[in-house]
Amino acid sequence: MTRPTYFHPVAHLVRKEFLQVFRDPALLRMVLLLPVVQLFVFGYAANTDLKNVRLSVLDESRSRESRRLVEAFYQSGVFIPGPAPSRPDDIERLLTEGKAEIGIRIPAGYARDLAEGKQAIVGVLVDGVNSSSAGRAQGYAEQILLREAVRGSAGPVEGRARIEGETRFYYNPELRSRHYMVPGIVVLIITIISSMLTGAAVVRERETGTLEQLLVSPLSPAQLIAGKTIPFAILAFADLAFATTIAVLWFRIPLEGSVLLLAFVALLFLLVTLGGGLLASTVSATQQQAMFTLWFFLVFGILLSGFFYPIENMPRAIRYLTYVNPLRYMMSMVRGIFLRGAALPDVWPDLWKLSLIGIAMFSLAVFRFRKRVR
Amino acid sequence: MSGTELEKAASANRARSGPSDGPALAARDLTRRFGAFTAVDRISLEVARGEIFGFLGANGAGKTTAIRMFCGLLEPSDGEAWVDGLSIATRAETIKRRIGYMSQKFSLYDDLTVEENLRFSGGIYGLRKREIDERAARLFDRLGLHDSRRRLTASLPLGYKQRLALGAAALHEPRVLFLDEPTGGVDPLARREFWDLIYETADSGTTVFVTTHYMDEAEYCGRVSIMVEGKIVALGSPKELKENAGVSTMEEVFLKAVRP
Repeated sequence: MTRPTYFHPVAHLVRKEFLQVFRDPALLRMVLLLPVVQLFVFGYAANTDLKNVRLSVLDESRSRESRRLVEAFYQSGVFIPGPAPSRPDDIERLLTEGKAEIGIRIPAGYARDLAEGKQAIVGVLVDGVNSSSAGRAQGYAEQILLREAVRGSAGPVEGRARIEGETRFYYNPELRSRHYMVPGIVVLIITIISSMLTGAAVVRERETGTLEQLLVSPLSPAQLIAGKTIPFAILAFADLAFATTIAVLWFRIPLEGSVLLLAFVALLFLLVTLGGGLLASTVSATQQQAMFTLWFFLVFGILLSGFFYPIENMPRAIRYLTYVNPLRYMMSMVRGIFLRGAALPDVWPDLWKLSLIGIAMFSLAVFRFRKRVR
Repeated sequence: MSGTELEKAASANRARSGPSDGPALAARDLTRRFGAFTAVDRISLEVARGEIFGFLGANGAGKTTAIRMFCGLLEPSDGEAWVDGLSIATRAETIKRRIGYMSQKFSLYDDLTVEENLRFSGGIYGLRKREIDERAARLFDRLGLHDSRRRLTASLPLGYKQRLALGAAALHEPRVLFLDEPTGGVDPLARREFWDLIYETADSGTTVFVTTHYMDEAEYCGRVSIMVEGKIVALGSPKELKENAGVSTMEEVFLKAVRP
């Protein structure tokens, strides 16, 4: 009586899990609606693009070149004309009084310096009350200055090296926050779906008493774990495909890199989230507890992932903390694949660290799970 | 049929029924402690094959703890036990293939249909689809659930659910079937029907080990034990126990045992 039934029981577990998800309106909503809602809320509402930044210009050069520079500012679509200062001190006053957000002073020698290929110094003053929008306004301004400098200059431009360090601007030339946000949301979606569903699925069975029924069956812990993770890995992949499609077709986010690499990176990332879900289930008696435990870690993971706030802007101690945050690596890789067309060698520094964390987390989860069910 | 053929058939039979022709279930000084509390205190018993054994005791007497040890859900602190001749300490994984278990909690999935539940129960025991379908069809006919097989299990009356759970626990034709207070919360008629199903299961050769605190149910068992504070204080057929105690019902036997 030899029957090839080893995978058979796992297939039954997977099938049962799908039946339950598709029969539970709350779970189904989570799987189908969460990607759409998150993409649209963050893609539209949390749009942090700069618009209508009032610019005060003190043009002491009064040349063709300086007028072209000012025109370039207005044509960027970011800046609108603010009150005109008559003296250098006026710029500061206008900023302090909140009548302008940014001021530039084009010195008298601007046109001459450009023509001679010397470094032209343009003063830029930014209202820094809202530091993140100020930083971006400054970034735009510098970009425009650089472009104009290159156009008008005969020789090398001093400022170039500094600007080139800002790769974000380079790859997202319009600094479209949507381009930056949407790939991040894709990461959030698969994180939440896979970890939450796995955690809930195990604990739900503990609550109803069916887990005990599984434990007296000949299912091995490995089979049980497979049965409780494979369904949600599949759903996470479905959501990844779904969210990526919306991102590309609706939001027109460029997907420069390979879809295959994106899927491969996601597969490794699932070790983290499925492991996290299993771990949460081993310390929770109820679904609420499991959800709460997961949220606690997810909030930290998301805040320290660079999703909202650039990691470079964080205090050093916090920055060190992000090194153990798997979401950090995932965010950076997915954004890279979407916006920069990053290939395997480009994502490798992030990938091996993510894999290490993933393997460690999943092993710990398996260990804890086996201990708990024995 | 010649003598040797008979012997061959008998040994083939033995091979199928496992390595041991001894008791279906045995315990020797089986003990389980939780910290300073001894839930099961050196119990010893033997249950013969095909027997319906009633494992009686008040709530908290240690019945569930004992069953959980037999089923491999809990490790004993001391003592030994064998299920189908296999030691629970060393052969727990093999034992799991040969037992069925129905817990106090209703243990089917409410959000699956009747049919899906049975398919799942059979599937995780490695039964083939055809085997499952045949046995499920027989069970549906037996329970009169044939027309309800595509209904969600949640919508069944409790009495049906319990019999369905028993059917699911016995679908893989276990050697020993553990039922932990299977008839809680249903009316006497539903309990009677449940016991009819237990008898049928036992008739097909399965040993049934059942806990209950309904004393009328104790009368249905071949032999019973009464557990008080982790210890077995009485063991025998209902008739013997009643005679020894000089009373006429199991209820009185139980009360005497619990409050000597």
